[in-house]
Amino acid sequence: MNFDQARFSRDDHYEPLLSEKDSTTVEVDDDGVLPDDLTRDELTLPGLSEPQLARHYTRLSQMNYSVELGPYPLGSCTMKYNPSFTEDVAADPNAAVHPDRSDRTIQGTLGLLHDLQEQLAEIGGMDAVTLQPPAGAAGEFTGILIAKAYHEARGDDRSEIIIPASAHGTNFASAALAGYDVVELPSDEDGRVDIEALDAAISEETAALMLTNPNTLGLFERDILEISEMVHDAGGLLYYDGANFNALLGRARPGDMGFDIMHYNVHKTFATPHGGGGPGAGPVGVVEELAEYLPSPMVQETAAGYELTEPESSIGKVHGFGGNWLVLVKAYAYIARLGDSGLSDASAKAVLNANYLASQLDLEVPYGPFHHEFAATSGDRDAADVAKRMLDYGVHPPTTKWPELVSQAMLTEPTEVEDKASLDDLAHAFNAAYADSDEALETAPTKTSARRIDQVSAARNPRLSWQALGDDE
Amino acid sequence: MFEIPDDRKYLESHEWTTTDGDTVKIGISDFAQDELGDVVFVELPDEGDEITAGDEFGVVESIKAVSDLYAPISGTVVAVNEDLFDAPELVNEDPYGDGWMLELEPSSSDEFDDLLSPEEYREQTE
Amino acid sequence: MTAGNGRRDGSPYAPHTDADEAAMLDAVGVESAESLFDIPEDVRFDGEFGIDATDERDLRESIANLFARNEELTEFLGRGHHAHYVPALVDDLSRRSEFLTSYTQYQPEIAQGFLQALFEYQSMLVELTGLPVANCSMYDAATALAEAALLANRLRRGASGHRVLVPEHLQEGRLGVLENYLDGADMEIGNYPMDDGAVDLDALSDLVDDETVMVYAESPTVRGVIEENLSEIGDLAHENDALFCLGSDVVALALLEEPASVGADVVVGEADALGLGTSYGMGLGIFATREKFLRQVPGRLVGASEDAEDMRAFTLTLQTREQHIRKERATSNICTNQAWVALRTAMHIAWLGPDRLVNLATRAVTDARDLAARLDDISGLQAPVYDRHHFREFVVHTDQPAPAIANDLAGRGFAVHTLDDHHLQVCITDVNADAADRLVAAFEEVA
Repeated sequence: MNFDQARFSRDDHYEPLLSEKDSTTVEVDDDGVLPDDLTRDELTLPGLSEPQLARHYTRLSQMNYSVELGPYPLGSCTMKYNPSFTEDVAADPNAAVHPDRSDRTIQGTLGLLHDLQEQLAEIGGMDAVTLQPPAGAAGEFTGILIAKAYHEARGDDRSEIIIPASAHGTNFASAALAGYDVVELPSDEDGRVDIEALDAAISEETAALMLTNPNTLGLFERDILEISEMVHDAGGLLYYDGANFNALLGRARPGDMGFDIMHYNVHKTFATPHGGGGPGAGPVGVVEELAEYLPSPMVQETAAGYELTEPESSIGKVHGFGGNWLVLVKAYAYIARLGDSGLSDASAKAVLNANYLASQLDLEVPYGPFHHEFAATSGDRDAADVAKRMLDYGVHPPTTKWPELVSQAMLTEPTEVEDKASLDDLAHAFNAAYADSDEALETAPTKTSARRIDQVSAARNPRLSWQALGDDE
Repeated sequence: MFEIPDDRKYLESHEWTTTDGDTVKIGISDFAQDELGDVVFVELPDEGDEITAGDEFGVVESIKAVSDLYAPISGTVVAVNEDLFDAPELVNEDPYGDGWMLELEPSSSDEFDDLLSPEEYREQTE
Repeated sequence: MTAGNGRRDGSPYAPHTDADEAAMLDAVGVESAESLFDIPEDVRFDGEFGIDATDERDLRESIANLFARNEELTEFLGRGHHAHYVPALVDDLSRRSEFLTSYTQYQPEIAQGFLQALFEYQSMLVELTGLPVANCSMYDAATALAEAALLANRLRRGASGHRVLVPEHLQEGRLGVLENYLDGADMEIGNYPMDDGAVDLDALSDLVDDETVMVYAESPTVRGVIEENLSEIGDLAHENDALFCLGSDVVALALLEEPASVGADVVVGEADALGLGTSYGMGLGIFATREKFLRQVPGRLVGASEDAEDMRAFTLTLQTREQHIRKERATSNICTNQAWVALRTAMHIAWLGPDRLVNLATRAVTDARDLAARLDDISGLQAPVYDRHHFREFVVHTDQPAPAIANDLAGRGFAVHTLDDHHLQVCITDVNADAADRLVAAFEEVA
């Protein structure tokens, strides 16, 4: 496939900034609505007409790659197709209500939230679910706060969270945010949890073990029941990072594996759009014993209808209101559209696609059997350069140089939405880039809107606003 | 393959130190700057700060990595290489010269003996 | 039930034909996709979720019916979640799939469009706050406030105490989030009292001490009051080596004193008041600060650089602050943020331009003033309760029990906040202003 990304340019820049198209300064409050000392003097912003803006943003959109343009196999990101109808469902004007409305006047909103709580609990094998965390990392933080509240309620002060070295960076940061020390766990030679190292790491200080399963190499932690027993015997809790849950739908549930707490990444598993970095949503499920600590409020069904209630020993709030409502609506719509059979099929096809793609690559995949994602290695080629070259073939490259367990890793997750032809295109991009000359790799990309961008200059001389650009001139 | 001058001593964590008798200078090794890649930011203590051997005294950052700086020697900071704030690339270009980081007035002369000799450090990096 | 597109049960969004699937299985060397799952028998799930697949059309109808159960009330609600009219351009362009279905810009060469839009968003906040560094989003105002407090605490590691002072009138969600975020850092929260709805300077002065790492004040407050002594509050904070964090919102910032000029070190607040509309509390957190705190900023930053052809280009930068590199020592655990909302907010600000944005903000003062005066004329109501300037919203005292009045108003099609037995809060914006006459009439009947 040939690919040339749109490229609007003028002089030494691409599409001009809004501020370069117009900069208008207005006097503020010259009518004296407020006393002078309470208002600013003036405000300078672009003052453009709607047609000018339509063109600006349409051009910017054309200089942006997306799932609807082609494969986007970023490992651990689950970039699957976002069904169009879910956008329309979320835009329903009847759903646009304020969070301080009284319960009885928003039974539709609460009904949807209630059903989503129940469905996520069922899908994860959990007993209760909060929808409040606005992202996966917020879900992790919420889950760890719940673990902390549980231990504290038992008078059991614990200081450590155990996390495999190959885990997502957010795990470490979320545990630290909740005030815990992090104990990093090495992998065994098969790429899974090293049981001996785990045994050595577990102590009466262990508040929880955070695990991703399948892990970030796509491998299922086969010893999960033994791991669960070890953690629980020591009085700790087991936390499930739901980033890779798309591999398991309908085949295994964290609750059945012994996990006490989990978060769901609905912007991964349940197909809500990533929106260029967010918003997502990170609902958290817990077993019955922990339900009393969930954030407030929860939606409960009563004889009188749906009501917001506060769990008995709630940790309180993790978002100013109820989280990312529009995202939750889209997740609800996706789950209802697919149902049992569709969700289960999604996982089957995601795993098949990853395995088929790997079978077509000239790159080695050192660890397996993997599920929905795999870590290929570009060997003596720089993975970041191979990735840049892949852009020229009209595909998005995988996550590179992570996890660190695999040198020059290219963590690849094609998801279930690619057909065979698209996977073949992707394999071609991998193989061609991998085989390309050093010069081709170093000068790549050449087909994208911008050429290789100087990261060092960006960091040494931070220019973070259009106001800062003038400083150099 | 990396330059390891004989006129100074080293830490396992890749800092070097050299003395003219009164004060010591501290920086990071050629090996360390190469591992980090293009240095984009250096954070250093202020003049007058006390630092302790083995403790972190600053941070050096590249695009994709952050490295703590550990003090080889205890003492009082008498000079900071302020050029690094505007030109952190000096750490890459001249790690043993213009890329120096701190000058200390040591609080004890014994600590110098505990450091790695150039030979010992060379073995470590091979 | 068929899954759609004439295929068997399964995901309607998995495009495999039978022939392709067979060829793929063959290439992998297995009989079925099922055999690729390396899951031990003892943790296999053999049950059902009990969720029936639904055709798109039926599903849209059933969800629409569900939402139709929400009562159609004209909302005069604010308190941290504000709605202004969102132009069609914002929906239309932000929903372009190139924006909506893209990921975080880890390959900047192929994501210039979104990066530029976020850079423009950051620049707009730099203009509105007067501070040189704005990140490209936090989840909401509450988490942005919490992150500001953590930043202040990191800067004051050597301080004798770790207290953050916040106003007595703080939206409940903001206080709750702050408590949870500060717990792990062994920080504490102190409340300072309000005097007639604004900061009680004398009381604050008694409370700020060398254990204080940050003083937080809002303008407008959660009760709609425009704070008149921001510079004095900033001075109190600075005299005690504490940071001054100002909470505001993207519309108010266009009219009120520029935060940098009153000494704010960090500005947090709500940017979703533009671009998002009413969405059950979904947010977009502002985070702007001084240059010297750059390395302590939480979340993503977009910066300008050059590409290999010396063209100006944009990229995520200073990522060593973030969790994917610094792990447990990152400035925050945030990864996924609210980028798409930031895109919408930037579009909305651009659509308004400086004139209409300032007018919108000015109207928030005059409309609130006019509505309060009209309610004050009604027997049994006093408004505004505080003798201050207000922005969008204000508190109303009711002689009769407030909950009953709110209930009666709901019966007449209006939603207002009930604060306590004798206080309501009313918020007016361009979205509900045309219903103000009817609201006043309804109040006349029920007050």
